Amino acid sequence: MNDPNRDRRPDPDALLALTEDGRRGRLKVFVGAAPGVGKTYAMLQNARRLKAEGQDVLIGLIETHGRAETAALTEGLDMLPRRVVEHRGRKIEDFDLDAALARAPKLIVVDELAHTNAPESRHPKRWQDVEDLLDAGVDVWTALNIQHLESLADVVSRVTGVVVRETVPDSVLQKAHDVVLVDITPAELIERLNEGKVYLPETAKRATQKFFTPSNLTALRELALRRTADRVDDQMVNYLRQNAIEGPWETSDYLLVCVGADKGAEIVVRAAGRLATRLNAAWIVVHAERPGHEETDPARLKRLDSALHLAERLGADTRRLIAPEKVGEILRLARRENVTQIVVGRPRKSLWRRLTGAGFVAALADQAPDIALHVVNTPEPPPEKRALAVVRPARLWTGLGAAAVAVTLAVGVGQALTLALDLPNLSMVFLLAVLGCSATFGLWSAVAASFISFLAYNFFFIQPVHTFTVAEPQEVLSLLVFLIVAVLTGSLAGRVHDQAKAASQRAQNIASLYDFSRKLAGAARLDDVLWASVTHLHRAQGGPVVLLLPQEGEVQLQSAWPPDRELSAGEISAAQWAFEKQEFSGWRTNTLPNLAMQFRPLLSPRGAVGVCGFVPKSTEAPLSPEQERELAALLEQMALAIDRSLLIGEAVRAAALEDNEKLRTTLLSSLSHDLRTPLSSITGAVTTLRQFGAQMPERDRDDLLASIEEETARLARFVANLLDMSRIESGALKLRRDYIEPADSVRAAAERIKKTFPRFRIETSVARDLPFIRADAQMLEQVLFNLLDNAHKYGGEAGAIIHARSEGEVVVISVTDDGPGVKPADLSRIFEKFYRGGRADGRKAGTGLGLSICKGLVEAMGGTIEAQSPAARRRGTRILLRFPAARMKVEST
Amino acid sequence: MNARILVIDDEAPIHRFLKPALAASGYDVLTAENGRQALHLIATAAPDLIVLDLGLPDMDGKDVLAQARQFSQAPVIVLSARDREAEKIAALDLGADDYVEKPFAIGEFMARLRAALRHAARNEKEISHFEVEGLSVDLERRLVNRNGAPIKLTPKEFDLLAILVRHAGKVVTHKQILTQIWGQAHAEDTQYLRVFVGQLRAKIEPSPDSPRLIQTEAGVGYRLCAAE
Repeated sequence: MNDPNRDRRPDPDALLALTEDGRRGRLKVFVGAAPGVGKTYAMLQNARRLKAEGQDVLIGLIETHGRAETAALTEGLDMLPRRVVEHRGRKIEDFDLDAALARAPKLIVVDELAHTNAPESRHPKRWQDVEDLLDAGVDVWTALNIQHLESLADVVSRVTGVVVRETVPDSVLQKAHDVVLVDITPAELIERLNEGKVYLPETAKRATQKFFTPSNLTALRELALRRTADRVDDQMVNYLRQNAIEGPWETSDYLLVCVGADKGAEIVVRAAGRLATRLNAAWIVVHAERPGHEETDPARLKRLDSALHLAERLGADTRRLIAPEKVGEILRLARRENVTQIVVGRPRKSLWRRLTGAGFVAALADQAPDIALHVVNTPEPPPEKRALAVVRPARLWTGLGAAAVAVTLAVGVGQALTLALDLPNLSMVFLLAVLGCSATFGLWSAVAASFISFLAYNFFFIQPVHTFTVAEPQEVLSLLVFLIVAVLTGSLAGRVHDQAKAASQRAQNIASLYDFSRKLAGAARLDDVLWASVTHLHRAQGGPVVLLLPQEGEVQLQSAWPPDRELSAGEISAAQWAFEKQEFSGWRTNTLPNLAMQFRPLLSPRGAVGVCGFVPKSTEAPLSPEQERELAALLEQMALAIDRSLLIGEAVRAAALEDNEKLRTTLLSSLSHDLRTPLSSITGAVTTLRQFGAQMPERDRDDLLASIEEETARLARFVANLLDMSRIESGALKLRRDYIEPADSVRAAAERIKKTFPRFRIETSVARDLPFIRADAQMLEQVLFNLLDNAHKYGGEAGAIIHARSEGEVVVISVTDDGPGVKPADLSRIFEKFYRGGRADGRKAGTGLGLSICKGLVEAMGGTIEAQSPAARRRGTRILLRFPAARMKVEST
Repeated sequence: MNARILVIDDEAPIHRFLKPALAASGYDVLTAENGRQALHLIATAAPDLIVLDLGLPDMDGKDVLAQARQFSQAPVIVLSARDREAEKIAALDLGADDYVEKPFAIGEFMARLRAALRHAARNEKEISHFEVEGLSVDLERRLVNRNGAPIKLTPKEFDLLAILVRHAGKVVTHKQILTQIWGQAHAEDTQYLRVFVGQLRAKIEPSPDSPRLIQTEAGVGYRLCAAE
């Protein structure tokens, strides 16, 4: 920072904003002080000029209000047809956003930025349509009267007495690429008005007549001029930043605004917004609550909600903090975010605060002497029953009733006790009543009980009895002490009770969350996760719940509760919007707020994995912070679980690929080893014969030639097995199943193996009168040959037994060798492809395909194959083939 | 006396041709089908040369080699496969003298066998002078000539040549050369070796572009051509 050149480097954020500008469309706003100054006219004139230059200009929507000179200007320009919406029997014409996006011109002219769209449009406000157009890369020209600017709304209504309902967030104007001020003097405007050149709706004529006074117009004009001048200033600062020109643009202010749920909240927000604009500073609006003391009153909640929404529209970040110590938490946030100024509303002085001097503002000022503190004046709110509003009226009355009952009981008990014993002081009995109320009904019941006790104790037990007067001075003291003790213990116990209630609510939420995460942890499949999610969320939120997941970029309904819940076209487009922009949409949002359902993106560390839609329990009030927190936690869990099961799916696919890869490697090494061994023998024998043949005895030469023959045959068998396997795998194998005699196949296979291994001893035993089976004779022979070949390979020349018999309706053919047998653990694996007996090294030559080919063929012929080991005397392996006996159908003619 | 050759392989067809071929060349032949049998024969029959297949049914061929080396210095030729390079190198580093890749022609096998037997005989009287194809190396005086003309080698180049000369006709693995010249720490730095072999070839080969004296055994090491 000491290096002056470093400071003069272009600010990367400024450059980034510039490049982002390149992708978005450019917004030009024609600002005027009032209707009738000629914004539309100016806009159209400029548009004509561009059109004449050959630019692609589209008139999206223009309000000519029947003025001929304005209408004439639209001649020759492309006009977008208006959308006609039917609403409660009335036809409303409005701007057609979808058509404009589809047409995608270079520049579109859309009049009246502050316009409120027809109901059930995509966005409630036209400025939101304009945002969409800009996002799509379309340049937009639009017009705006200064009174519609959000942060000026209250100033305008104060100055002119007209309440402004249609507002545009300041950020729209701030982000605009160009702002053009269309200005005429108030005198000229009034003249035009009198000449009837300014269009005014019939119904509003009187109100507007009042509006168009010279003083009002002057004030508005000043606002417009100031605002555009501020804009020029902003542009200057931006220019300086982008070009790294040293200058006094220093404004690193960051405002933190504290709001409550009272009527002053919106006033504080607007004031802070103006301050932030003047300082060119970022700002954040914060509402802090103590846990267990969250706002529950619907009216207050609504006010808070609208204040926070207003802040967002004015370009602020908003945050709701929940912390036991409000001031500390706010200051922690302020320090973390490098806040330079704090804005608060002037607090109402309660009696308690007046007495103690303790207060929120005082605490802020005390604890953060380095941060500037603005206290905004808020008009005196109408007397608000804040104390009562905390407790729901029904509960309050129950609490008070209980206090009365408890004290009456205490009086009764006290009377009874005085009859039985001579007690000097009965205050303990009343304390008991106070404690009972506080523990059961909370703070307010306890306080009431304290006061009633105080009176009753005085009335019934303090001399003179049955009056409220007190005879003895020390009794006055003890009564006062009693009152203080009662109020203190009562309020302490009451607070404990309230906190316990809040804690139990939280515990319930946590339990629900825990329950949910346990359910999710148990669900590995995506379907299970989705199902667990919708059912749980439905229980937590009360209304219908839907879950949508993206498929090729489009979100699609995957799971819903109730299960037959369908989505309307509007809901689907809101869900898609939520997914793409990763923002909330639908109910109480800026996008399609008319829907009953709200959509929220499910965000995992990898981005949006889907969208969750829900209908809240009550569509009237916003979600309480408690609900909001629970919902956020559930959605987060859900997103992670969905992401996890998607990842598991991917991992399974990857593992399958890896298995395939492993199989390929095994095949390769098996082939290279098993093809090489006979090849080595053949090469060796042939070269030996060539080199030493002459010196060799006749017998050795013959043996070498025989070995070449045998090894060639072995090679041929390997290749045949491989081909069979690939035929089975690819489904190219054609079986010709026919009625065959098993005995024929057994004998044929035995003959063939004897030719291959002349010294191999085979014992054949075939039961007489075996039934036919339906099989492919050639394939069955191949199977038996493979089994005998295996028996030779593992059992050696000692011998094998091939046996065929029938067991009821089943023909069983078995091949038993005299080898070392197969370990029980391996028994189930020997039919797997490339599984081979023995150790990896020095195993018997073979592709490891023989048995798996047998299995494939036998099963294709409708039989089963099974291995048993040991076969007999702890040695040998027996392979059993079972085929159903075939009943030959005798054709009856 | 005829040299006695022990052939260790579990594949009967290999014995079927090796045995008559070796007999026809005038060697006495012993055969073993597994590791235990082989170790027994190495201990009792004292073969002059061992032919060892690395894939044996009862134990790893490398274990057989390691155990045999504890009591026998007979040269060992390993039978291996092209795709088992790592195994091959491990066997050479364990003390095998050479290797032959399956499938092989009997002529090549016999040439390797003769080279290994000759080397074993030479080992008993340490050589000091070596000559092949016009190249003569005097190991004691550290002199190298080609066709009578002296060649100047750097000390490292001479050390490299000396190792190859002492194992003339046999393969020497990268690791063996590297540890002997540069030490244990550089056992894996084959790039040193490529540079020095290149320099050495440029000085001693008649045509360095198609080297004949120093042959590259891809992935394994180098072999100096030996006079038959």
